[in-house]
Amino acid sequence: MVEIEFARTYAAPRQLVWDAWTDPDQIAQWWGPRGVTTPRESIELDLRPGGRIRFDMVDDATGARYPNSGTVLEVDPPSRLVYADDGFPDGTGKGTATVTFTAVDERTTTLRVRIVADFDETVRAGAEQGWGSQLEKLAEHLAAA
Amino acid sequence: MAPLETPDRLSVTFGALADPTRRAILARLAESDASVNELAALVPAISLQAVSKHLQVLERAGLVTRGRVSRQRPAHLRAEPIAEATAWLAHYRRFYEESLDRLGEHLSRLQGS
Repeated sequence: MVEIEFARTYAAPRQLVWDAWTDPDQIAQWWGPRGVTTPRESIELDLRPGGRIRFDMVDDATGARYPNSGTVLEVDPPSRLVYADDGFPDGTGKGTATVTFTAVDERTTTLRVRIVADFDETVRAGAEQGWGSQLEKLAEHLAAA
Repeated sequence: MAPLETPDRLSVTFGALADPTRRAILARLAESDASVNELAALVPAISLQAVSKHLQVLERAGLVTRGRVSRQRPAHLRAEPIAEATAWLAHYRRFYEESLDRLGEHLSRLQGS
């Protein structure tokens, strides 16, 4: 199990950030890293516990299409969304995402995305001790050596 | 979005890295090859058998190779699986960092700022 957390504070009201995250028309405008498009017609989002999530991501450079799917686990608008990601077709990226929307004030929202990627049970114990950052330090050390 | 290493292989790598003693061994080997005796000096009161056991786990994960020539069989670090594991993490991180940047830009556009 690998845990990664991201946090951003946006100059936007909480409802607006929630809508951007949950409205397929808006998801199509920002989801995915740069150079990747998520076509509107590929997006299905059934926003209730057990609801299915489906979308394709298209690599702009090659046109390669990567289908994605998942399941909504918890919905508490406009503050919390939890979903399971089925991962990439090669089997990586499977995990659970917890997205929280916190109103700092009426026009400012802090978004936190916590990803817990699934690996097998043997990894769990050590991963919970936060080896992730140490792994990166080790890699930096190796790169510098 | 090129497919990376399979999760099974990554699980073995992450599993091997999940132990602090094994990470200490790897960090030491990043400096130079070392014998079991030298590695045992890293951790207070650790037995040579315990070090050998950790080395076996690291060997199975492909993170370490052992010399065949010298009687001390010095351990040598193989960095490739670590590079794959960090590439996987970097891939994941980039995905979200860039998505969240784009979300910020989208929210700015929505508000006409």
